[in-house]
Amino acid sequence: MSEINFKTRLLNAINKKPVDRVPVVCPGGMMNMAVVDVMKATSCFWPEAHIDPEKMARLSLGVQLLGGIENVGVPFCMTVEAEAMGAKVYMGTRETEPRVVKYPLNTIGEWNRLPGLTENHYRVAVVLEAIIILKKSYPEIPVIGNLTGPISLATSLMEPMDFYKALRKNPGEAMEFLEFVAENIVKFGVAMTKAGADVINLADPSGTGEILGPKVFGEVAVPVINKITESIEDATGVPVMVHICGRLLPVLDQLKNIKSRVLSIDAITNLRKVKQALPEKVIMGNVSTFLLEKGTPERVRKAAIVSINQGAGILSPACGIGANTPIENIRAMADAAKIGSV
Amino acid sequence: MKDIDILKTIADNVVEMEEELTAKNSKKALEMNISPLTIINQGLVIGMNEAGRLFEENEYFVPELLLCSDAMYAGLEVVTPHIKKEETHVLGKVVIGVVEGDTHDIGKNLVKVLLQASGFEIIDLGRNVPARDFVDKAKQVDADLICLSTLMTTTMGEMKKVIELLKEERLRDRVKVLVGGGPISESFARSIGADGYGENAAGAVRVAKRVLNIPDALAS
Repeated sequence: MSEINFKTRLLNAINKKPVDRVPVVCPGGMMNMAVVDVMKATSCFWPEAHIDPEKMARLSLGVQLLGGIENVGVPFCMTVEAEAMGAKVYMGTRETEPRVVKYPLNTIGEWNRLPGLTENHYRVAVVLEAIIILKKSYPEIPVIGNLTGPISLATSLMEPMDFYKALRKNPGEAMEFLEFVAENIVKFGVAMTKAGADVINLADPSGTGEILGPKVFGEVAVPVINKITESIEDATGVPVMVHICGRLLPVLDQLKNIKSRVLSIDAITNLRKVKQALPEKVIMGNVSTFLLEKGTPERVRKAAIVSINQGAGILSPACGIGANTPIENIRAMADAAKIGSV
Repeated sequence: MKDIDILKTIADNVVEMEEELTAKNSKKALEMNISPLTIINQGLVIGMNEAGRLFEENEYFVPELLLCSDAMYAGLEVVTPHIKKEETHVLGKVVIGVVEGDTHDIGKNLVKVLLQASGFEIIDLGRNVPARDFVDKAKQVDADLICLSTLMTTTMGEMKKVIELLKEERLRDRVKVLVGGGPISESFARSIGADGYGENAAGAVRVAKRVLNIPDALAS
């Protein structure tokens, strides 16, 4: 097969159409690669790049160019939706991500007083504007829009301990709240596709099977995740990928019910086993982010090749990247995709 | 009702996440002249340990364990004011917290609950705690152990900072360090020179006892 561009390759991989080799991506959001090396090279630093669309776009492009990654992706954190829905956010530093410092909800029962996410909220507008800039300047590079998963967003709007307890004590109310949260996530996702996002990635690190247990994961998290991915795909035709952290083997049965075609997984889960259990899914992952930060380029390359050989349909880091990850290691991961399986 | 029955009931109330019943039966036990420490050690703690076991065996998960700990605390609130000072003894002093840059504290809270149920005195610094604060607090209270938690890959580096600071302060020999949380592994713990790694909350308690040379039998 002759050279195909990044966007076609990624979309083909997602849609299980033929590709010359696996694409290598770094979606953004919690799985962004805006490392300090790239910030220096582009002169676009955190925290400014979280609130300046031009800098956000340039920083994302810097990762693509310097790291050899085959996409751009914004934002670089998981606080946009939360802030747009009333949470107070500290923007972090050059090396640490923004985080919620005050929850808008004291109790779950107050959820219907929360503001809904709007495209005019400054954090939302920054992300949409960055997508427009990227899309206009580099149409052949796929733009990935990143969304915060429903449990992660719910636990950014109220004390996580209280939310997890409510799932058990007060499931009806917890579900109503989650549906409200899901509607707002869909709103943001659809707006991202209108701005030009080619793919959406939904990551829910606070909603793992390990935290919730297989029962609640299957009965609460999976249906809400499906509702979000299907609503966005039905409304826009843009594919939505899902990232689930943690050990997946105990919840393989529940994962079978995830509708998204692409499932992104963590390094602690054996990719081959997930692929065997879920042969229909495109599995994305799962190069250890610890190795990316602390390992040598050679070891990163080897780990990436292991992921490809185990059946990764899209190569990517396994989880959130440390800001001090050296750019050579990101490049080593990208190179592995270009060499292909050996 | 016999003493042993009410204690068993209290333990069951904790396991069954019955906050109000735990408090009610703890009060009843006090009225039966059962000593507060007996109620704690043979009722509340037995229940919490059982909840910890169910958690480790993947019968209970985070929501259940949190509700069990609420029940235990409801019982503790009733009986603690009746404890005479000289009766208390602790296995060790633990400073615990989530490292700077991270606000996810579920795991830390679970470890705290189970350590407390096992007889440790806990000083909880909360979340997003600067490395310096762990060391200062450990020094101030003469802690035996520091427990560090993070859920994020991006803040794992903070754990090493705490260990380096302990060395600078020449406290490293006196204070043990345990690390844990989503992205943390045994090999990471070794690589930064931590004394132990808690794979989950119940595992953290076992490792805490091991690094402090506390025989398992002493753990109520």
